[in-house]
Amino acid sequence: MSRRLAIYAVVIVALAAVPIWFESFWLQTGLFAMAAIIAAIGLTILVGIAGQLSLAHAFFVAVGAYGYAYLADKIPPLLAVVAAVLLAGLAGALFSPIAGRVRGIYLGLASLGLVFLGQHILQNATGITGGYRGIAVPPFSVLGFEFTGADGMVVLGVPYGPLEKLWYLGLVLVAVSLWYGRNLVRSRPGRALATVRDSEVAAATNGIDVVRYKAAAFTVSSMYAGLGGVLMALAFGRIVPESFGFLLSVDFLVMVVIGGAGSVGGAAAGAVFVTALPLILNHYSGSLPLLAEPGSGGVGAAELSRLLYGAAIVAVLLFARDGLAGLVHRKERVV
Amino acid sequence: MNQFVTLLVGGLFLGAIYSLVALGFVTVFKATHVINFAQGSVLLLGAYVIARLHESLGFWPAVAVGLLAAAACSVLIDVVLIRRIRRADLGTLAILTLGVDILLATELSRRIGTDVLNIGAPWGNHVTELFGIRVATSRVVAGCVAAVLVAGFWAAFKFTDWGIAMRSAAEDGETASLMGIRLNRVAAAAWALAGALAAVGGLFLTSFPAAGVTGGVGVLALACIPAVVLGGFDSPGGAVIGGLIIGVVSVLTAGYQEELSFLGRGLGGVAPFAVMLLVLLIRPSGLFGTRELTRV
Amino acid sequence: MRRLGLVAVVLAFAVAACGKGGADESAGGEAAGGEAAVKTGPGTTADTITLGYLPDLSGVFAPNGKAMMEGANLYWDAKNEAGGICGRQIKVSVQDTGYDPQKAVAAYQQLSGDVVGLGLVLGSSIVSALLPNVQQEGMFLNFAGWTSDILPNENVAIAGTTYDIEAINAVDFLLTQKGLKEGDTVGHLYFEGDYGENALKGSKFAADKHGLKLVEQKITPADQDMTGQVSAFKKAGVKAILFSAAPPQAASLAGLAASQKLDVPIVANGPGWTPQLLTTPAADALAANYHVVSSMAPLSVQSEGVTKFLSEYEAKFPEGTPSSNGSLYAYAGAQIADAALTKACENKDLTRKGVLDALHSLTALDTGGVVAGTLDFSDPASPPGNLVYIAKVSKEAPGGLEALGEPSQAADAEGYSF
Repeated sequence: MSRRLAIYAVVIVALAAVPIWFESFWLQTGLFAMAAIIAAIGLTILVGIAGQLSLAHAFFVAVGAYGYAYLADKIPPLLAVVAAVLLAGLAGALFSPIAGRVRGIYLGLASLGLVFLGQHILQNATGITGGYRGIAVPPFSVLGFEFTGADGMVVLGVPYGPLEKLWYLGLVLVAVSLWYGRNLVRSRPGRALATVRDSEVAAATNGIDVVRYKAAAFTVSSMYAGLGGVLMALAFGRIVPESFGFLLSVDFLVMVVIGGAGSVGGAAAGAVFVTALPLILNHYSGSLPLLAEPGSGGVGAAELSRLLYGAAIVAVLLFARDGLAGLVHRKERVV
Repeated sequence: MNQFVTLLVGGLFLGAIYSLVALGFVTVFKATHVINFAQGSVLLLGAYVIARLHESLGFWPAVAVGLLAAAACSVLIDVVLIRRIRRADLGTLAILTLGVDILLATELSRRIGTDVLNIGAPWGNHVTELFGIRVATSRVVAGCVAAVLVAGFWAAFKFTDWGIAMRSAAEDGETASLMGIRLNRVAAAAWALAGALAAVGGLFLTSFPAAGVTGGVGVLALACIPAVVLGGFDSPGGAVIGGLIIGVVSVLTAGYQEELSFLGRGLGGVAPFAVMLLVLLIRPSGLFGTRELTRV
Repeated sequence: MRRLGLVAVVLAFAVAACGKGGADESAGGEAAGGEAAVKTGPGTTADTITLGYLPDLSGVFAPNGKAMMEGANLYWDAKNEAGGICGRQIKVSVQDTGYDPQKAVAAYQQLSGDVVGLGLVLGSSIVSALLPNVQQEGMFLNFAGWTSDILPNENVAIAGTTYDIEAINAVDFLLTQKGLKEGDTVGHLYFEGDYGENALKGSKFAADKHGLKLVEQKITPADQDMTGQVSAFKKAGVKAILFSAAPPQAASLAGLAASQKLDVPIVANGPGWTPQLLTTPAADALAANYHVVSSMAPLSVQSEGVTKFLSEYEAKFPEGTPSSNGSLYAYAGAQIADAALTKACENKDLTRKGVLDALHSLTALDTGGVVAGTLDFSDPASPPGNLVYIAKVSKEAPGGLEALGEPSQAADAEGYSF
């Protein structure tokens, strides 16, 4: 037990020290990955635990992101975060009548419609969303401590700007999300949802209110998406509709599936994999040999990174049937 | 009134092309329970091959090669990848095809670059007059081809051994295989058919009045998703009807944009998805899809 | 096993523990060596100046992004061969954005420490996402997009005039040359987003001014078939069509208009043309009615800058003329960056602020006709240029466009506020 504590302590100290060592590229990438982790946990609860395929996740992420950006000017940022998460939850609850009626593949593709409707609204409701121009995201602040570089804070010789400060906010939010997600999966409601997934009839005969549980799963998942959206908005500084399109929804589903559907840790790993892989491949593309110089024709680094991304998805699904989570568990069993 | 009829006819012809691509989606889904997201890039592959080869081979041979290439590519996806994890769940299989789509689409759009490749069809930009309405000849050809293909598909599905094998495989794969039906063969045939249908769709979607083959053409297959869902994912007839509905809806919303401007402009792309959501609210398995029965 | 993991984590940190802070410390220092008098900052050393490029090389605009990098490399290779700027070689540091704001922000973070400015950024959603950082770090950004929404902005440089001014000029051209009269109806087909909606702002202004009725049709880049739009235009009885979308839509629009016997002039913004359109079935319809209004030169213009560009292009890519406008855009962008850097060198200040100040001190930059007229960067609230080339599609002209007269400006544009 004490050994375990020691490991946790080392990991926490190491994560806390990241902004001191790593350059802003890594912090930015890390923040995007953290936002994705939070949202992906929400989706794995919905897809993996409750068994409801959804391609609408980008829509709920957008509700959270735009909700925060719109409200944080008008009310204290901390309240705006809470309001944005509730707003995303509300959007999920409003969609749940459809989710309750429509099943499986139909639900997945119906929810895709929500993403396109969302894009249309983001582009056209210019009063709130700023249309194609998007809106600036007000910086986060809590108890008078601002998450900007304005105060000239320096830690161990490293100037602490918005990215460095947001890193810690992200760590806290990810930790809370992981903790809550794991508890939810293991709790009574989590087991009830799993029963709904396996057989709605069996669930109903055991006294589980299927419709209510499905609606609740959609709501909780959307709230996670909203929180992820808030962190994503903060990491961006300015949000535009293009960031919340069809491809983001697909990315989330990829995260959950290659992470191993239903595993909270797997979703987190999948999120890091999907978000960070293209960015890191791009980062190191300059040092990889045999690549054409950008703009000179031939397979460039950007294409290679896209090809590797596609190949990685195929490889994980073919060779690690239970996703990334399955790999870890298998290893543990061997040890 | 005249405008309405023109739009309706234009929409029906566009819808006929969507129907073909949608039929491909349904065939694959019925035979192997896969939502094939790679359909878009297979469509692009077919169109690309035709556009590249029509000058050296002539148009019709190029079409034949294009269809074969798309069908072969589609079968390869099934045989090399899908077959290995046949029993995986819906989400996993869908994401697998998505990975393939990324690979194919990236390579094809790299080859196409900024080019707008001419498909080289003999009907060029000719126009046909039907009852006083002027329609692009390519669309009339597309409508006829679609009608023939759909009828042929229906007949094959109903009367041939392959059709019976396919239907029984969709009904109950295990029993079908016990009865001596080779599921892998049925599946490969379905994928080949879907690939060829996608290529035909690609050929017409890139003919006049569209400009030609560009790197972004694969995205057009996305427009067929509402058609498939609307019609019912396991209903070939539904796919055809769904395709027609989506074609009409998207052309009508574009044509009446001025009148519909209170809903925001640029509705043409969103309207099919909105219609799909409405239909699903009323009929959760699409218009003609099999309702899920609850078995205990 | 676990301990091994622990060691790995610690090792990873030890390995990564380098560099951070280092880049910041050298910032603002004086360069050692012969030209000690020139002040330098991030992105400038004693023998190189590094410019960041953020094109889309893997997303929807990847082909344009590649064409742009062709143009940029062309310019800087020639410049470096001729000795560079301020005795320094120009280094181009490229990062792909994939037309994805998330990737773009990360890519920016990666190169921002080592560049003096951004030589070219594609996409206004990308620029929007980057602006908070760019402004904070005070570098210049060459925007490959001509939207006045970005104005006023101290950091952003645009090559020429904006889409709205182009649209005003287009309406003026229709009124003076194509017999359009007060009370007539004009259609405008435009893309959702900065490009189309900015052009719409201009056409609305001009339509108001001349009592024209405007029929709007908004589309997205995914729309490839203009059947519904053309039918709506025909019903409204339009006498001319303004076009602010991409080449595939242009072919569909012109072809369908011809097939529906809607024989009216079509006037497009710069991005609405590519020479490839002449290989599509709509070539004849385009040659009959299609015009382009843009501050970027048609390739058939016999000006010093364009000729130089074409000869350099042919030397490097013997297959012939560039197929996309992107390479010329980036070439013009490089000319502007070159002028700003050269001026900054004269001022002995190659810091980011020095380069930005030098850019704003350029009041009559001559690109040799690549961009219409001369460019004035002194007022961040208005676009640097106000002249446009008006060109007609011609199957014989190189690049498919033949300029109609010298660069000009519509009188209406004077009274327009951005």
